[in-house]
Amino acid sequence: MQISVYRLVTGALLALLLAACGDANEQAASQAAEPQRDNTREVADYYAANPEFFGFRTPADLPAGLVWENGDHLPEIGSPQATKGGTLYGRLQDFPRTLRTIGPDSNGSFRALLLDDVGMTLAKVHPENLELYPGLAEAWSVDWENKTVYIKLDRNATYSDGVPITADDYLFMFWFYRSAYVNAPWYNNFYGSQYTNITRYDDHLISISMPEAKPDMPNRALQIQPIPRHFYREVGDDFTERYQWKFAPTPGAYIVREEDIRKGRSIALTRLDNWWAKDKKFYRYRFNPDRIQLNVIRDTPKVFEAFKRGDIDQFSLDLAEYWYQKLPDDDPDVQAGYIKKAVFFNERPRPPLGLWINTSQPLLDNRDVRLGIAYATNWELVIERFFRGDSSRLNTGNDGFGEFSHPTLKAREFDIEQAQKYFAAAGFKQRGPDGILVNDAGQRLAFTLSCGWESLKDVLTILKQEAAKAGLDFRIEMLDGTASWKKVQEKKHDIAFSGFGRFLEMYPRYWEHYHSDNAYDDAFLPDGSTNPERKLKTQTNNLEAFAVYEMDQLIDRYRASEDREEMIEVSHRMLELHHDYASFVPGYYQGFFRLGYWRWVRYPEGFSYKYSDGPNELHVLWIDTAAKEETLAARKAGIGFEPSITVYDQWAE
Amino acid sequence: MFRLNPQTLKKLRRFRQIKRGYYSFLALAGLLVLLGLGELLINSRALLVKYDGQLYFPTYTAFHPGTDFGLDYAYETNYRELQRQFEAEGGDNWVLMPLVPYNPYENHAPGGIFTPLPPSADTQHYLGTDTTSRDILARLFYGTRIALLFAMAFTACVYLVGISIGCAMGYFGGVFDLVFQRVIEIWSNIPFLYMVIIVFSVIPSSVSLASRIGILLIVMVLFSWTGMTYYMRTETYKEKSRDYTAAARIIGASNTRIIFRHILPNVLSTLVTFMPFTIVSAISAITALDFLGFGLPPPTSSLGELLKQGTANLRTAPWIVISAFSTLVALLTLVTFIGEAVRESFDPKTFSIYQ
Repeated sequence: MQISVYRLVTGALLALLLAACGDANEQAASQAAEPQRDNTREVADYYAANPEFFGFRTPADLPAGLVWENGDHLPEIGSPQATKGGTLYGRLQDFPRTLRTIGPDSNGSFRALLLDDVGMTLAKVHPENLELYPGLAEAWSVDWENKTVYIKLDRNATYSDGVPITADDYLFMFWFYRSAYVNAPWYNNFYGSQYTNITRYDDHLISISMPEAKPDMPNRALQIQPIPRHFYREVGDDFTERYQWKFAPTPGAYIVREEDIRKGRSIALTRLDNWWAKDKKFYRYRFNPDRIQLNVIRDTPKVFEAFKRGDIDQFSLDLAEYWYQKLPDDDPDVQAGYIKKAVFFNERPRPPLGLWINTSQPLLDNRDVRLGIAYATNWELVIERFFRGDSSRLNTGNDGFGEFSHPTLKAREFDIEQAQKYFAAAGFKQRGPDGILVNDAGQRLAFTLSCGWESLKDVLTILKQEAAKAGLDFRIEMLDGTASWKKVQEKKHDIAFSGFGRFLEMYPRYWEHYHSDNAYDDAFLPDGSTNPERKLKTQTNNLEAFAVYEMDQLIDRYRASEDREEMIEVSHRMLELHHDYASFVPGYYQGFFRLGYWRWVRYPEGFSYKYSDGPNELHVLWIDTAAKEETLAARKAGIGFEPSITVYDQWAE
Repeated sequence: MFRLNPQTLKKLRRFRQIKRGYYSFLALAGLLVLLGLGELLINSRALLVKYDGQLYFPTYTAFHPGTDFGLDYAYETNYRELQRQFEAEGGDNWVLMPLVPYNPYENHAPGGIFTPLPPSADTQHYLGTDTTSRDILARLFYGTRIALLFAMAFTACVYLVGISIGCAMGYFGGVFDLVFQRVIEIWSNIPFLYMVIIVFSVIPSSVSLASRIGILLIVMVLFSWTGMTYYMRTETYKEKSRDYTAAARIIGASNTRIIFRHILPNVLSTLVTFMPFTIVSAISAITALDFLGFGLPPPTSSLGELLKQGTANLRTAPWIVISAFSTLVALLTLVTFIGEAVRESFDPKTFSIYQ
């Protein structure tokens, strides 16, 4: 007996020791030099294997009579007064988990500074009128009939390492985004299905074709960024690890230097002095600070303290609590004019923030229950009392898309009578001892309300209090962001308080949220009736498990349609259908962004733009270094300036 | 009949002589009684309602919908409004409200906006309100109650497990002792906080609040009993080799009898001295967990959640952090004072000084 125990213990200890050694070995191996790779051959073979997608022709093959356009008539972006120089100090909530812009963990907020806001595409959408202005393209020509866009590339364009950008980088992009190495199913699917052909005519002339001539076809063809072939030559099975901390050469104005990466602490972007587009019409007044220094500060209260000290230059005052209370208009720094406050209204697609009801859960599959929940949710109170009337009620899941949004549909307002009526219809007639409704089986009318935003916890507690008046109990579940996302992606939630980012697009997407393909495997039988054996599908954005046969038909029609008017009509019909189904309780939106910024941060006159998303998206601000010295000196000496609290409401709805 | 032996009586007398500890004990006992009667002191439900010649005692009964008192809604009566209404009507009907007429969950915004309000006797928010206009006194009061009850339950469980295993290790010795020592060494190296976070991330939220508190308790006990075993083991080893234990064994007493009747009473002083510190650590732990957001689900009131709100609103609403912080300090100080006094009065050295 004794011996066996000793053996057991020794054995366990040995196992632990070995495991520890294994770790050390692995680490040493990963630090060793990575094997050389060259995928040139593989890429060429891929092009050859897909001749219908990758075309190689000569300029002589170009159709005759193409009309070229280049957006030259559009107004400039930024201010002629802008000066280059200075450092913009900001914060990161989390250190980026990778410098890749694709693959696992790459979709964080830092990506905007690597790709979305700073990178260059063939053309970009003008923030004042949604027309296209040139980026890497010099001019383009749209052939609606053949669903093709012809593009002349800018001959001067280079990557940040000086390598010229040519047609080959665009062909390579399609190989890259379609390859399994990058570990990015969305890219694989999007670049594999939304484009039908790319043809190279010469080094600086290409054409791109699509399956349908949708009204926004030019946008889809032109909003792509080339991938530097010379840098990604080593892409292979180990892509994720190999490129984890390598900064890819960029056609944009800012680069990340290796010495500026202090993992877990800070990261900085440096402006390229000899950027190829620095004198171009739409870029010469933008990307002004020499450096953008970002330090990791996790807690918002600490960020605010850092801002008040002048350690960071701007602070978002979107939350009423900060705008009215923590940095009120009579704050000494505001009154002395050191810190400016501004509200910038905008008009853009609104994120569908609200309650996403999982209709695959018991009880929630009953429309009466869902209607009751919609009437028992007091968003009006949240907007009026918590957001102090600054926010507005969202009416549908796709507001802010212009004509594509529904002109008259209104969200259901808080109404205890109505809620009780619908709950009664679902069998919940009696109130239990705690005031929550119960049905004849003794079941309580209680649902879990999950949320991943710690900062909006208070909103949920208010909703819970109000819902109790209608006899509905919300069990609040606060999760961290990742856990909450995982939960809704696995469709394990009852009700999720969530939302999705909305791009600046011409028309909303319906397929990902409302098509039964994203709710169940084989949701319907061929005749349109519900398949009794259907299985819930996870890892999709259809968080409501929304599966309505009529909706599927409409979505298919909408996706196939090339007629703008028809699409608008179908869009309205789909929004009505979604409203009737009551699986989404629209929450609220903010029609503006608010900012506190130090006096030395300057914005163009009349900023912001109609479709702008935030203060830094377009990189039009500049640092007035003289004003910074002046302000800091004045602050020390106790001298004040004219206070500045401005509301730019030219785009208020 | 339960009778204390003279030794214990002597120790208790000694405890009473240590004034600081004794008064702390009285204060804490008083607080416990108050917390027990909490619903009668701090509650949005009325103590007594007289309506149409009938008396209602809503505090501990099922909820009364507004319709019970002639109002036009089916949800819980707002007794404060009812009181005002009855007073305005001037009839025979009246409402008697508790001292603080708020519950810890309701968003009561006298100013119309959900925002922290400073303490005010006019609105009966004696310690002000928090970020969503809930009464801080009510939240503090019920938060403290949960923390204290939790701490006491925690101590009881830790002692039960710790004493049993520690005594057994010391008494039986040999392989049993050896194996358990190693098990404890490994077990105590598992990071407790991570375990709580992991366990809580997998508990479905449909689990009721009481069960969640129970699970939190179990998890915390699972990772806290180890400390106690070492003291018990050494003490038992010591006592086991004493003559009276050998005598008991010769008489033919069973192991159980020897452990519980002979050894345990003699190691009591060690146990009792540690108790207050275990309570202190339990209160700190549950507060810390709530502060980090891994404790009880919102909107449960808790000291940690208030502390968190307080630190986030240090400039604009200092009353939040002041209330929460003072309560925590007062509570921990009281328990520590009691602990010191207990340790001193149970210290055998006091009674065996050789002149």
